[in-house]
Amino acid sequence: MELDFSTLVPYAGELVQGFVTTVVLTAISTLAGLGLASLVAYVRSGKASLLGRMLGGYVEVTRNTPFIVQLFFLFFGLSALGFKISALFAAFLAMTLNLGAYSAEILRAGIEATDRGQLEAARALGMSRLQSYRHVVLIPAFARIYPALTSQCIIVMLGSAVVSQISVFDLTYAANFIQSRNFRGFEVYLVVTLIYLLLAVGMRQAFGFVGRRAFAFRQGGNA
Amino acid sequence: MIEFTLWDIVRNLLLAARWTIVLSLIAFAGGATLGMLLTLLRLSSLKPLRLLASVYVDLFQGTPLLMQLFLAFFGAAALGFDVSAWTAASVALTLFTSAFLCDIWRGCVEAVPSGQWQASRVLGMNYMQSMRHIILPQALRLSVPPTVGFSVQVIKGTALASVIGFVELTKAGTMLNNAAFAPFTIFALVALVYFALCYPLSCYARHLERKLYGSGIR
Amino acid sequence: MHKPQRILKTFKGALASGLLVLASISAIAASTSALASSLADIEQRGTLRVAVPQDFPPFGSVGTDLQPQGYDIDMAEYLAEQMDVNLDLVTVTSANRIPFLQTDKVDLVISSLGKNPERAAVIDFSEAYAPFFLGVFGTEQAEQIEEPAGLAGKTIGVTRGSVEDMELTGLAPGDTTIKRFEDNATTISAFLSGQVDYIATGNVVAAQIAERESQRAPKMVFQIKDSPCYIGLSQGNDELKAKVNALIEQAKQNGTLESLSQKWFHTSLPESFGS
Repeated sequence: MELDFSTLVPYAGELVQGFVTTVVLTAISTLAGLGLASLVAYVRSGKASLLGRMLGGYVEVTRNTPFIVQLFFLFFGLSALGFKISALFAAFLAMTLNLGAYSAEILRAGIEATDRGQLEAARALGMSRLQSYRHVVLIPAFARIYPALTSQCIIVMLGSAVVSQISVFDLTYAANFIQSRNFRGFEVYLVVTLIYLLLAVGMRQAFGFVGRRAFAFRQGGNA
Repeated sequence: MIEFTLWDIVRNLLLAARWTIVLSLIAFAGGATLGMLLTLLRLSSLKPLRLLASVYVDLFQGTPLLMQLFLAFFGAAALGFDVSAWTAASVALTLFTSAFLCDIWRGCVEAVPSGQWQASRVLGMNYMQSMRHIILPQALRLSVPPTVGFSVQVIKGTALASVIGFVELTKAGTMLNNAAFAPFTIFALVALVYFALCYPLSCYARHLERKLYGSGIR
Repeated sequence: MHKPQRILKTFKGALASGLLVLASISAIAASTSALASSLADIEQRGTLRVAVPQDFPPFGSVGTDLQPQGYDIDMAEYLAEQMDVNLDLVTVTSANRIPFLQTDKVDLVISSLGKNPERAAVIDFSEAYAPFFLGVFGTEQAEQIEEPAGLAGKTIGVTRGSVEDMELTGLAPGDTTIKRFEDNATTISAFLSGQVDYIATGNVVAAQIAERESQRAPKMVFQIKDSPCYIGLSQGNDELKAKVNALIEQAKQNGTLESLSQKWFHTSLPESFGS
C-alpha cells in the first residue's frame, strides 16, 4: 500500500480551521484554568472551611474521572436536564475544570513550600492580606512550579483532541472529517499527529519565553 | 421497545468495568516492562541509546493519546498487521504508559543525590555496580508514589479506547445511553465507577508520598 | 544535578524526528499490502466477519444484555447460515465502517450503508438489501421548513461520513451550521438532549426515536433522497459479491426480506424494492 499525502491538499482549509480552534480553545482555557487554580489553591491553603471542602471534592472528582466522560456529562447530561450549553462551551468548561483541578494541586504544593516567616514579614511591612498573598506566596509559588505547570497545560492541549467527539471543529475533528471524505485515514492521522507534536513544542517554547520574562527577578538568585 | 431498568444499566456498566480493569492491567504491566527497558536505555552511557529513548518519550508525550489509538488501530492495518480493537488498545496504551513511566523513573534516578554516586565510585564500584547496589534501590523507593499516582492516568486513558469501538466502561455508557436515553444518570454512573476505581489509588499514592517525605522531615 | 534534557525542545528537532518517523512508516507501508479475504478464504476460515451497527435502531441496536440485534444483524445471520459458515459480528460506527473494510478487519459491511460516489471509489456494493429514505427531521416545536433553503441560519446534527452528511453538505445553504458527530448514538443523543433541533437521518430511525421519546418525536421536514442500503465489500472481490447478490435475490424471492421488514420496520417492503 502506497501512502499518498497529496490527497490532503484540498482539505488544507479544514486543517487550518481545526488548528485555529485547538489553539484558541487551549489559550482561553489555559488562562481561565490557571485563574481557577489560583482561586482554589488560595481557599484551600487557608483555614479549613465548607467552601474549601467543596473545592476539594471538585478537585478529586475531576482528577479521578476521564475527561471524555466529563465532556459527555456536561454536553448531554446537563442539556437533558435543561441546562443547554453549546459544544464549544462544554469543551471550554471541561478543559478549564481539568486544568484548574490539576494546577490547583501543583500550586498548593508550591504554596506549602512558602516560608511562613516571609508572609508575616510582609504583613508587618503593612501589606494587606491579599497583597502579601500575591507577592510573597502566589508569584514565588508560580515561579517554583512553572515547569510542572507548563507540562500540565500541554497535557490539557493534547487531551483536547477528545472534544472532537462532541462535534467541536478542532484539529482532530478536521482529521476525522477528512478521513470520512477521502478515506485516507492513515495519512491524515499521521500529519495531524505531527501538527500536535509541533504545537506541543511551540507551547513549551512560548511558556519558556513568558517564564523567563515574568520570573526574571528570580533568575539571579537561583542560578 | 425494550425498557432499561436502573439495575440493567448498573449491571451492564459493572460488567463493562471488568474490561476497563483488564485493559488497565495489561497497559500497566506492558508499560512498566517497556518503561523499565527505556529507563535503562535512557541512563545508558552510550549516547545513541539515550537519544533513542528521549525521542521516544518526547514523541509519545507530545502527541494526543487519541491520535496514537487511531494510528494503532487503522495505521497498523495499513502497514499489513491485522489488529483487533483489543490489540490496538493494548499496544497504544502500553506505549503511552511506558513513555510516561520512563520519564517518571528517570527523574527518580536523577533525584538520588550525586554524592551517592561519588561515594560508590570511591568504594571501587563500577557504573553497573553502583547503579544496582546504591542508586536503583533508592530510586525505587522514590518511584513508588508517582508510579501509583500514574496508574490513575492509565485507567482514565482506557476510556479513549471506546473511540475505536472497544467495549469498556465508557463505550458501554454511550451504548446504554443510545438504547435507554438517560444521559444524566448514565454518565454520572459511569463517572462514579471510574471514581471508585481511581480515588483509592490516588489516596494510596498520596499516603505513600507523605510517608516517604514525611519521615525525612520528622 | 543536571537538568533533564529534552530532545524535542526545538521545532527543528521535533520536525526532523517527526518527518523521520513519517518517512520510515511510508517506506514500510509501501512494501506491504492489506489484501481482502476472498470467498475461498472465508470458506476455509469457516467464519464470516460482518460489520454491523449497534447504535442505529431498527437496523442494529443493543438489548439489555448489550448484544446487537436488528435488521442488519438478521441479514448477516441469514447470509452466514446460507453460506454454511460461522458468523463473527463486529460492531462499528458510521464513521469507521469503511476503514474496517479497507483494512480487512471484516469481509462484509452490513450497516445500513448507502451508496455514493465517494464510497464507490474505494469499495464495492452488492444489490440493495433494505429500503431507506433520508430526510431532515425536526421537533414539533421547531420552525417548519419546506425545502433545503429554509435551513439557512439553523443548526442541524448529522453523523459524520454518512450519506446524509454528504447530501446535506451539498444541499444546505452556506450559513447553516452542520454539527457532525462520531456515530449515530451521539447524533441521536444530541437531538434528544436538545443540543440540536434538526437532524438528518433515515425515516425508520426517526420513527424509532419517536416511539421511544414521544416528547421530542422527530417529524419529517423534507425528504433528502431515496437511498436504499447496500452490503459493502472490498473492491475486486467478485466471487464474494456474486455469492452475496445471489443470496439477496433468493431472500427477495422467498420472502425472507419481507419478513425481516415486517419484524423490524412493522411494514411491507416498498414496491420499488423489486418484490
